[in-house]
Amino acid sequence: MDLYKILHQTFFGGLAAMGFGVLFNMYRRHVLWCGLTGGLALAVRTVGLQLGWSLEAASFAAALAVGSVVTVLQERIGVSRNILDVAGCIPMVPGLFATKAILGFFALTAPVPVNPDETLITSVEFFLRVAFTIGAIGTGLAIPSLLLHVLARKG
Amino acid sequence: MAETIAIIEAASLEDLAMLSMEFGRILMECGASAKIVEEYVSRVAKGLGAGRVDLRVGYASLAITVGIGHGGITRMRKVGGLGVNQRLGQAVRALVRRQEAEKLSLAATQAELMRLVKETPRHPGWVVDLSVGLACASFGRLLDVDWQAFLPVFGAAALGQCVRRQLLHRQVNVFIVATVVAFLAAFLSGLLARLAGSLTVDKAMVSAVLLLVPGVPLLNAQYDVMGGYPTLGNARAVWVGTILIFLAVGVWLAQIALGEGH
Repeated sequence: MDLYKILHQTFFGGLAAMGFGVLFNMYRRHVLWCGLTGGLALAVRTVGLQLGWSLEAASFAAALAVGSVVTVLQERIGVSRNILDVAGCIPMVPGLFATKAILGFFALTAPVPVNPDETLITSVEFFLRVAFTIGAIGTGLAIPSLLLHVLARKG
Repeated sequence: MAETIAIIEAASLEDLAMLSMEFGRILMECGASAKIVEEYVSRVAKGLGAGRVDLRVGYASLAITVGIGHGGITRMRKVGGLGVNQRLGQAVRALVRRQEAEKLSLAATQAELMRLVKETPRHPGWVVDLSVGLACASFGRLLDVDWQAFLPVFGAAALGQCVRRQLLHRQVNVFIVATVVAFLAAFLSGLLARLAGSLTVDKAMVSAVLLLVPGVPLLNAQYDVMGGYPTLGNARAVWVGTILIFLAVGVWLAQIALGEGH
């Protein structure tokens, strides 16, 4: 387990989430919570990746952790669960893969494409990773609140 | 006499429907998912006396049917561009809870809503620009961009956010803004990273445009589909996909200008 890598990803994941918290016009005290949830997300995802999980599985576990923590602490924090969930998971949105997938598709339309087979496979792979990772994040975030809803109805 | 009462009831239903949808419009424009919009619109309408409420949440419009007793009306209104404004969204939700608890009148609720829209503060523009720059530079580190490219990504993304703010303020089309900002941020980031001796110029160029990746609408799209609003979810997904294509065009042009990539 590479502890430096985990701490590095946690720190910069938290910083990225705080930056987006400001962009989303969150109160200053809530921006700090964004940083904590963003750091938690990246910590869990990095540990998962180091355990040999796929990016999608690690992202699912990270989103589940963020969703659970936010669901438990939401009343105390006093911020909307949806926004805090999203801000915490923003650093995991695979923007790089999405951009590279589209650029790869652009490259295929050149008059003389370079390595078209490889470019196509890489672009499709990136596209699928974006779709599955977003699906994993959304599902991981939704599960805690859905469970809470079920428990609240039973209670 | 009966005619007068009917006119008064119609007028109050009209006001009730329009005010309820105003809550929905603001919540949507602040980045709320369809489920939240429906919940809060329904709560405010019932808090103001509606017996039944049915809401249709579309991408660009809301439609509501409210009824009191035997009377009922259906109204529709347009929704503006969807952004994210957490403070205003939270304040509007708090107002709904206050309206329920204190039984505020329609006029008082409307006045308070208008006050919130006018007075809810935003972070200063330069703070947002620097924060976004820092967020993108952090994204860069998460994507293994080397330290030489850290400041170039920070500066290019901050400038990109500043330009995006100015263009959106001038009501330039959001897709054109995505291409212009992506080109500017990717070009500057790549050029400065190259001058700084970075070995990860291509990743630095992409990191600087991640401010444009619409994460909230993307996750809202999935929430909406899962929450039983597939039409709205799909509309959001199409919008996100189109933004990504325009963003990629900007990066592609910057790559050509710098001789990077394909």
